[in-house]
Amino acid sequence: MSPLHRRAALGLLLALVAGCRPERPPDGITVLVEAPPDSLDDRFALTAIGQRISQLIAPGLITFDDTSTPVPSLAEAFRWRSPTVMEFTLRAGLTFHDGTALTAEDVKATYDSVRARPLQSPKTHRYAPIQEVEVVDDRTVRFHLHRPYAPLLAEMSLSILPSERAGLEGVELQAAHPVGAGAFRFESQPDEEHLTLVSFEGFHGGAPAIPRLHFRVVRDETTRVLELLKGRADLVNNAVSPAVLPMLRREPGLRVLTRPGTGYAYLGFNLRSGPLADARVRRAVCHLLEVQPIVEHKFHGLAVPATGMLPATHWAHVPGEGCRYDAAEAARLLDAAGYPDPDGPGGRPRLTLSLKVSTDRFRKSVALVFKEQLARGGVELEVRSLEFGTLFSDIRRGNFEVVTLKWASVMEPDLMRGVYHSSNVPTEGNHWGGWNRGALKDAQLDALLDEASRAEHSERKALYARAQARLDTLLPYAPLWHESSVAVVSRRLEGFEPSAHGLFTPLARARQVAP
Amino acid sequence: MRRAVSASIAVVGALLLVSLFLNLVPGDPIDVMLGEQASEVDREALRRSVGLDQPWYTQLWTFTRAFVTGELRTSLPPFQKKVLPAIGEALPKTLLLTLASLLISVALAIPLGVAAAARKGTAVDSAAMGVAVAGVALPRFWLGPMLIIVFALWLDWLPVSGAESWRHLVLPSLTLGTALAAFLSRMTRAAMLETLREDFVTTARAKGLHPRVVLWKHAFRNALLPILTVLGLEFGGLLGGAIVTEKVFAWPGMGTLLLTAIEKRDYNTVRATVLVFTLCYVLVNALTDVAYTLVDPRVRRRS
Repeated sequence: MSPLHRRAALGLLLALVAGCRPERPPDGITVLVEAPPDSLDDRFALTAIGQRISQLIAPGLITFDDTSTPVPSLAEAFRWRSPTVMEFTLRAGLTFHDGTALTAEDVKATYDSVRARPLQSPKTHRYAPIQEVEVVDDRTVRFHLHRPYAPLLAEMSLSILPSERAGLEGVELQAAHPVGAGAFRFESQPDEEHLTLVSFEGFHGGAPAIPRLHFRVVRDETTRVLELLKGRADLVNNAVSPAVLPMLRREPGLRVLTRPGTGYAYLGFNLRSGPLADARVRRAVCHLLEVQPIVEHKFHGLAVPATGMLPATHWAHVPGEGCRYDAAEAARLLDAAGYPDPDGPGGRPRLTLSLKVSTDRFRKSVALVFKEQLARGGVELEVRSLEFGTLFSDIRRGNFEVVTLKWASVMEPDLMRGVYHSSNVPTEGNHWGGWNRGALKDAQLDALLDEASRAEHSERKALYARAQARLDTLLPYAPLWHESSVAVVSRRLEGFEPSAHGLFTPLARARQVAP
Repeated sequence: MRRAVSASIAVVGALLLVSLFLNLVPGDPIDVMLGEQASEVDREALRRSVGLDQPWYTQLWTFTRAFVTGELRTSLPPFQKKVLPAIGEALPKTLLLTLASLLISVALAIPLGVAAAARKGTAVDSAAMGVAVAGVALPRFWLGPMLIIVFALWLDWLPVSGAESWRHLVLPSLTLGTALAAFLSRMTRAAMLETLREDFVTTARAKGLHPRVVLWKHAFRNALLPILTVLGLEFGGLLGGAIVTEKVFAWPGMGTLLLTAIEKRDYNTVRATVLVFTLCYVLVNALTDVAYTLVDPRVRRRS
């Protein structure tokens, strides 16, 4: 190497070394999310991230506490004036981020827009029971319904927008620079991977103590964990797998905060034909599952065995038994259903079932535990891991025997009507759109769920208890567990209390401190 | 002329294939846009308004026309943004990552390959080729996090992910370039060994030239042609590898754009991204042909 080359190489090396220095975290709190929000306009947001961020910018009339009970947000009070009229009273002095007052007219404009066909909102059908939105005065708005519809409140968390932005002509503006009355105001979104919000002085709950929130998309789970370890991220909400949590707990710069969650994991059975059309076989599979060891060892205790769709913290929950492990009873049921053990324990199986699961590493590993557990009872489980699009398409078209999935967050118990009512079986006629994918058909259950959707709040819990008892007999799903809501936070973020539903709204009450 | 025809066939073929595969992928984009519970009337209205009711060849023609005129928009209403500005932002980032990886792989591979060939059968040769085998064998999704752990966490020299400065470029380009460096060093060694056996090298040595001059000026220049061929061909591999690397390092390039578009079933952006990938590949191959003429006078004379 010539002296000139040597000097050039040395210069380059020095420049590189000078550039290699520890990084300072950006000003404010950095939140890592696993995918970009599909929309910052709640009327179009279908993904959990889209809905959670848009709610932070523009909250709705009400929100939900950890027991899934509706609580005031922009509305300070709400009441049923009759079985078909719900009245909301807005808080006094509400303002949007642009300084204009938020009135009942804005509420009406928002709900009228989402119900109007030209907007092509994916949520239009949710508001079909609303006949009319009536402005009584600046702070009072009434929703008139076509018929009694108790689950209406579940849809009343829709972001309220300024009336001039609610119509079709304001959609693009709202998408580019959203305005709401939330704790944080939109500052910038240079690309789909980055979003910055700033504290809103005029928020009805008082200006948040966190001056600035940076949302960054980091798709790779390992990279999210490494960013936390490096100290360049302050919050990851429900986006790290339970397997890494014990390691993160040992990190002095991080805290792992948990809250009992509202998600519901289950084994879904296809009741259309085959062995699982027989309730005895479904019950036998249920008796062969041991959920507690999975909760302890795979989830490190960060899940609670489920007895039904509603978690123990839910207002409509009633205690139940779930899948009690009983190998002897499972054997008896399989014998009775015509699946005797051909050659004693350990030999050929009594029957073979196919389980479809996503390609998620963690879900696959749990599916293999099921395989092992069922094999001990003589049921062979063939685990098939499919890319999510294919898995979802198969499930909707009834092309499965057993499937393991979860409902991300169960707030409104009327979800049971969507999932178990016979009118919601996916067919070509409804474009495979129903959620009753196992094709459960039971008139008694249908009647109970219909009645619960019309009943007054005080009667609903008893009706759902009866529906759950019926489901315990029919067993269209084997209940598995409710995963905890888990937030990993840095020492810079204090006072953050994770929401059971994984919402970002607790950031409004948290604060940023020097590490 | 022949080159232009084959390039056009490659581009049209890629477009046809990606359209065919998009039609085979399970999942209806209307579900993504309207949700599963939307009414049939709304579904059909939306399907018509975004042209998804048209046969695939009509959709393809509409797409091509919009792409060429720069009017192509995302498939997802209500705010169908133009696609080309998004590609305009993402493409330079991916090209920067790919070129940096190419530079790193060339900077690592050529000295390693030449040294291994010059000292064939020695410990230097075995060590260099051992490193090369390891480089080929390491998958990017493993190497990326390992480099982050060492350089970002333990040594605290570089950032974990993102694309804010040149320091963010180092680890992703190392991750992307390692496999190519390994392959290229083996290729360089093989090409050099062949050239070193040629008569003109023996002549050069017999004339008493300095061994370094024989190695670099006489042997290496003649071994460059196969190396350039591999570089041109492997550029496509780097573009493909960029998708995984961009995901690991949250690098906002074409891979990230493609992944987001696939998640949203945004057919127009998926098609446009794949088309741009193909155009890059065709262009690089054309540039490789030009490079041949620069390094080899025989090719220049023939053409």
